[in-house]
Amino acid sequence: MTRADKFLLVGILLASLVSGTALYSRFFLDSAGAEPVQAVVTVSGKAIRTIALQPGARSSFVVQGRRGASKVEVDGMRVRMQQAPCENGICLKQGWIEHPGQSVVCVPGETVIRLEGAAPLDAVTR
Amino acid sequence: MMRTGTRRLVFLSMLVAMGTALHVVEGMLAIPLPVPGVKLGLANIVTVLAIYLYGLRDGLTVALLRVLLGSLIGGVFLAPGFLLGLTGAVSSTLIMAFLLKRTRCFSMIGVSMAGAVGHNIGQLLAASLLLQTSAVLYYLPILLLAGIPTGMFTGYLLNSLLEQKAEIFRDFERI
Repeated sequence: MTRADKFLLVGILLASLVSGTALYSRFFLDSAGAEPVQAVVTVSGKAIRTIALQPGARSSFVVQGRRGASKVEVDGMRVRMQQAPCENGICLKQGWIEHPGQSVVCVPGETVIRLEGAAPLDAVTR
Repeated sequence: MMRTGTRRLVFLSMLVAMGTALHVVEGMLAIPLPVPGVKLGLANIVTVLAIYLYGLRDGLTVALLRVLLGSLIGGVFLAPGFLLGLTGAVSSTLIMAFLLKRTRCFSMIGVSMAGAVGHNIGQLLAASLLLQTSAVLYYLPILLLAGIPTGMFTGYLLNSLLEQKAEIFRDFERI
């Protein structure tokens, strides 16, 4: 190897290290302080209420959807639809959601509850 | 003149054939690494030889024909992987031709390393365009790092090839 080869080698190594730390540091920082999870309630595509979930905190509130009032219940880190105006009750049957990325959807009422936060991996493929 | 043109044609054809064979065989080799997409880049050897003996234009021709034929044999012609390989081959050929013909300070090892890294960067840019996402750029550090040993390996092979068979290639250089 010539001198220029060695310079090139060190250059590539440095470039990979610098770009590596710049790109990957985000993930390590994220796992150090877990991102807070919040429930976002939207009606007809508009976010009308955001609740930060905290362990042990219980509450419930009423949301006016397109078909009338739905009742959302929050219990610590999980959320569910407690009452819904439509006859299907699909959102009610779904029960509690507790992982970021999950959602409860009421199609007739155009009401969606979604949990936002750092989503854990579903799967890894190769 | 006729004779030299024919010799050149024959030698380039041989390079294309060898490159295609290496390309296909390489596709069958599994590299024991936890990340997908890392290859040895053996087919790069013929591209370097073509540039070394005849220059950028013939190097590009050999690289393009090799990718085309290799993908036809492998059955991935015009698939996403083919487009990535094509972009990678062109970008690495351009970089290696520059280092081989315009600079004098690099050995084959340096040229191969630059070619491997150029291949990976070109491929990554093509992938981000193709997938319409910049998320693939997270692969950049890994691919940069992977270019070092693979480039060194093919460069070492090239160096020893040129030393062993110097008299053959000197013959071709005169043409």
